[in-house]
Amino acid sequence: MSSAQLLKLENVTRSVRLPDDSELRILSGIDLTVAEGDHIAIVGRSGTGKSTLLNILGLLDRPTSGTLAWRGKDATKLSARQAAAARGRDLGFVFQQFNLLPGRTALENVMAPLMYSSGRDFWQRRRLAAESLDRVGLGARLDSMPQTLSGGEQQRVAIARALVRRPRVVLADEPTGALDVATGRAVMELLDAATVESGAALITITHDSNVAALARERLSLDGGRLHPLSQEAAR
Amino acid sequence: MNTLARIFTGFIAALLEAWQELRIHRLRVLLSLIGVTIAVASLTTAVAGAQMAQQLMTEQLERNGRPAMISTYAMDPASQGPPQSSAEITAAFEKTSERFKIEYTSLIGRTFGTQAVRQGLSVGTEMQVVDPDYGPMHRIFAQHGRWLEDADAQNLSPAVVVDKTTLSALGMEDGTLPATIELRGLGGDVSVTVIGATSTRGYGSMGQMWMLPETYEHWFAAAAPLSDVSYAMWVPIEGSEELASHFARQMQAELPGYVVDSQRQDYLAWGNDESLKQVALVVSSIAGIILLLGSLSLLNVAMVTMKQRIREVGIRRSFGATTGRVFFSVMMESVVATAVAGGLGVLISVALVSNPKLINAVMATGLDEMPGFPVQAALLGMGVSIAVGALTGVLPALVAARVRIVDAIRV
Repeated sequence: MSSAQLLKLENVTRSVRLPDDSELRILSGIDLTVAEGDHIAIVGRSGTGKSTLLNILGLLDRPTSGTLAWRGKDATKLSARQAAAARGRDLGFVFQQFNLLPGRTALENVMAPLMYSSGRDFWQRRRLAAESLDRVGLGARLDSMPQTLSGGEQQRVAIARALVRRPRVVLADEPTGALDVATGRAVMELLDAATVESGAALITITHDSNVAALARERLSLDGGRLHPLSQEAAR
Repeated sequence: MNTLARIFTGFIAALLEAWQELRIHRLRVLLSLIGVTIAVASLTTAVAGAQMAQQLMTEQLERNGRPAMISTYAMDPASQGPPQSSAEITAAFEKTSERFKIEYTSLIGRTFGTQAVRQGLSVGTEMQVVDPDYGPMHRIFAQHGRWLEDADAQNLSPAVVVDKTTLSALGMEDGTLPATIELRGLGGDVSVTVIGATSTRGYGSMGQMWMLPETYEHWFAAAAPLSDVSYAMWVPIEGSEELASHFARQMQAELPGYVVDSQRQDYLAWGNDESLKQVALVVSSIAGIILLLGSLSLLNVAMVTMKQRIREVGIRRSFGATTGRVFFSVMMESVVATAVAGGLGVLISVALVSNPKLINAVMATGLDEMPGFPVQAALLGMGVSIAVGALTGVLPALVAARVRIVDAIRV
């Protein structure tokens, strides 16, 4: 069965201009195809451009050259408003530092993305958020403030928040980076199970080979280029 | 989903976000809004106070005659002193006023030196002999009992209406009306019936009393003929000067040998009193300066806070918040906050301005009826606070809207 193609990067480059007016190339010649249900891990050392690639995949940034297709359409031609709408509707983000909104309960954090939806999702945001938290095992911690939750619980709130609008792609940037090994593994298993259940693609950026080993497709980002990573190498 | 519904949902969501943000940072918001609250309370109080004082002053002035009040005298050039009461003059006035179809008219005669006595208590009063129309023409209403009516001329006991000073001096404040008192100084003691009492006060310790011309004529005129008689007419302001002139000529024609003079006698005939407007202007200017300082403080806090919220903005953008939505949400935070502060300021103002004791102390007067809080002043206070919120919200909103998502998330 062939899954629907969501993202397709062809010969994507990303450069930035430095203060001395020289150009720093972060990504070069990136080719990547992401389809529904994929679980892709991208590993690489710090400073290799993993987050830059994730930003491009998440429509937060634009490539300097090359093509980026989002569901068959040229994403580089999307207006800021269209890109924002696509992010809200189809993309979910999980960050290394959880990025929970301060001063808000777990429930309010998960409700936050639904504030940018319209129609039924907006008006039923409380129920949807509670269900999403229940799915990640935090049904009893709805009114807990982030600072009263453990690191693993905070990341689970972040996962519930990423999944609450039923995205097609979940982008996880070092999701276990701030967690111990056991908690990190549990969080990754939860993330994987949740995306499998919803049929969303999961792209994990990590420098942890154990986390990468959970993915069905593993890629290495080195020298600004993506290379396939064998199972053994991942371990 | 149609565009209108989407816009409505977005607006509600932005309001909810703004409220949530204010709830979370209530202490900071509260502190930063003190200046706005004080300024709005001052501004609203100044405007409302001036409007209420203006209204009170107008009502006080109208007790001497509501505009346009035309006063008519008929004098015999051969006689000395003020015009005397005369059936001939009264008949000429009534005939002329009927010809000009004037609805409100009254004879006005005064006598002084009357003593009102009751159970050993007495008070000097100014007796005014007037027709029933005199009440509405001079904004005089009975607070107890009732005002004079035409039928009172037929009463077996002379009917009078007294003012609050007379009522108090005779120890009748708690008593029921009608009540009987004695009048002295008009050719012997005469028992009269007090049928009503007004809130109007005389000057100093002297009381006031009103009686119908027919009553006076029957009971007192023989011993104390009415002097200083004039005739008043309450007419529309427009064209009142011309009317006075025509009326005098017409009445003069009815009274050969007399000199008839008609002229405006209400306070508007001498121009408006602008002093209250100047006071309101000065207080409003001071409130404006406080508002400016409060706004600058608010802007300062908002800008500093926004710098600390860059990551939050980035996170929201990753959820799908557009630039416009971020701008609107941040601005709404400011607008909602200042609207709440302004509402509080208006409430403080209402509490101050609607307090009779405070008003009496400030205006050094005894008010019988408090005018209502002017709605325009409350609307002005709310409008100003919302405008301040919008103005001080623009800069932080611009900063938030211009955040690069990629940089914001990394912060």
